Amino acid sequence: MAVPISQMWTVSTYVLKKKLAGNKRYPPVLMLEPLFRCNLACAGCGKVQYPPHILKKQLSPEECFAAVEECGVPMVSLPGGEPLLHPQIVEIVNGLIARKKYIYLCTNALELKRRLPEFTPSKYLTFSVHLDGQREHHDMSVCREGGYDIAVEGIKEAVARGFRVTTNATFFDGTDPNSVRSFFDEVMSMGVEGIVLSPGYSYDKAPDQQHFLGRAKIRRLFRAILSNRKKSWKFNMSPLFLEFLMGKRNYECTAWGSPAYNIFGWQKPCYLLQDGYTDTFKELVETTKWEEYGTASGNPKCANCMVSCGYEPTAVGAGFGSVSGFFAMAKAALFSTYEDKGALDLLNNHTTFAAHRDQFVSVDTLVGAPKLEETRV
Amino acid sequence: MSQPAHVVNVDELEVVDGRAYENLEGWIPKLATEAEIHEALEKAFDYRGDISLTFKSGETVEAYVFNRTTGKGLSDSTIQYFASNALDKKKATYADIARIEFSGKDRAAGKHWEAWVKKYAEKKAAGEKNIALMPEVLD
Repeated sequence: MAVPISQMWTVSTYVLKKKLAGNKRYPPVLMLEPLFRCNLACAGCGKVQYPPHILKKQLSPEECFAAVEECGVPMVSLPGGEPLLHPQIVEIVNGLIARKKYIYLCTNALELKRRLPEFTPSKYLTFSVHLDGQREHHDMSVCREGGYDIAVEGIKEAVARGFRVTTNATFFDGTDPNSVRSFFDEVMSMGVEGIVLSPGYSYDKAPDQQHFLGRAKIRRLFRAILSNRKKSWKFNMSPLFLEFLMGKRNYECTAWGSPAYNIFGWQKPCYLLQDGYTDTFKELVETTKWEEYGTASGNPKCANCMVSCGYEPTAVGAGFGSVSGFFAMAKAALFSTYEDKGALDLLNNHTTFAAHRDQFVSVDTLVGAPKLEETRV
Repeated sequence: MSQPAHVVNVDELEVVDGRAYENLEGWIPKLATEAEIHEALEKAFDYRGDISLTFKSGETVEAYVFNRTTGKGLSDSTIQYFASNALDKKKATYADIARIEFSGKDRAAGKHWEAWVKKYAEKKAAGEKNIALMPEVLD
């Protein structure tokens, strides 16, 4: 596991204290979106489609600090938009570090190398660089040739300067698992602390509405990717969440686990869906009809979601919620090769991606692949 | 808001259809009944462009509607919006609204994956370098 011990200690004691205090809803991470403006125009993104006057708005540092203190989380993710376009992002980051919050600044890294001298390395600060795969895959995914090379330059410079760096990948329909595994080799060789990954989510507002994975294909894809792991691969995620993606565990969504705050307020119910906003975190927790979200609810908007913002908090809670959960988590962290001949067959029989993605080859075009296997335990 | 139950086992889905696009740009809904007002403002909340809101006071604003709460009637149902020429959030009741028009460009329309791949292939074939989709200019 790539997460530093001090961070694990902070999060685990936070979860245990909340459980012992009888709190029912205690998010471990806040998705703090300081702005929606971005310097990319990705077809799969549902976050940045707003009129210009909205894209020009941004949270002030004081608004960011107030939101973080209001919900009391130990970790803060700074997505967007592109946070490095915020003129006061350094002040925001430094203020959060002063509050001893573990920050994941999610960036496409187009501006990272240029902006690095303004930041100071800290155990509390991680640059989470958006990389969706190997060069040609990433460039096509973010609709920008050369994006991968710029991001990698930023990663290498950040690593050289002593910053914590992770990569953050989202995988859509058409992903080639063999390429993803090669991608893991590439990013680990750059000296990053770990890899973060997630299946894509079918945002209502994404311009592209046709390339979202269903849950069966998600599990098969991640079984192929994450089984038979190399020891050199480190993941900056809950190991139980990775097992969930591989189809080895069945979790329900914890929609309140990663609440989102932005210029509109506290977003109902989660980081992905926009069913309205509240002015306070308390109001969000108390007035949202949580039972109407997640796959168990039957809500069609949640039908294909296996995204980390809802399911990783469940995995974290499961890991610290019982002795058996804790041992499962420890086992997953220590014995993490997941040898699986069936997964190897999936990889070996996979028809690989075309060089420039001028045609899509889906994971289900596997020669001799069996119908979906139930792999949960 | 209750949601319909899944008619399939979602764990068996291979791919998921995205949401069908509804072209609302330029639409001026009828607001003759409470049901029409509720439907129009629900769509306004969902719309990724500016709306022209004309209030019963006669004032008109260009605004992005980012929230709505529905009560028992029009007077306790509200929208929240950012006017295009103001910094602060504003609130209005459904009962205050006389006319709405989906006047702003729908920022979520178009730009499909296939369109990007087609554009990329054409530019590549023409020998172009550094092919990219760029964000729209804000000013």
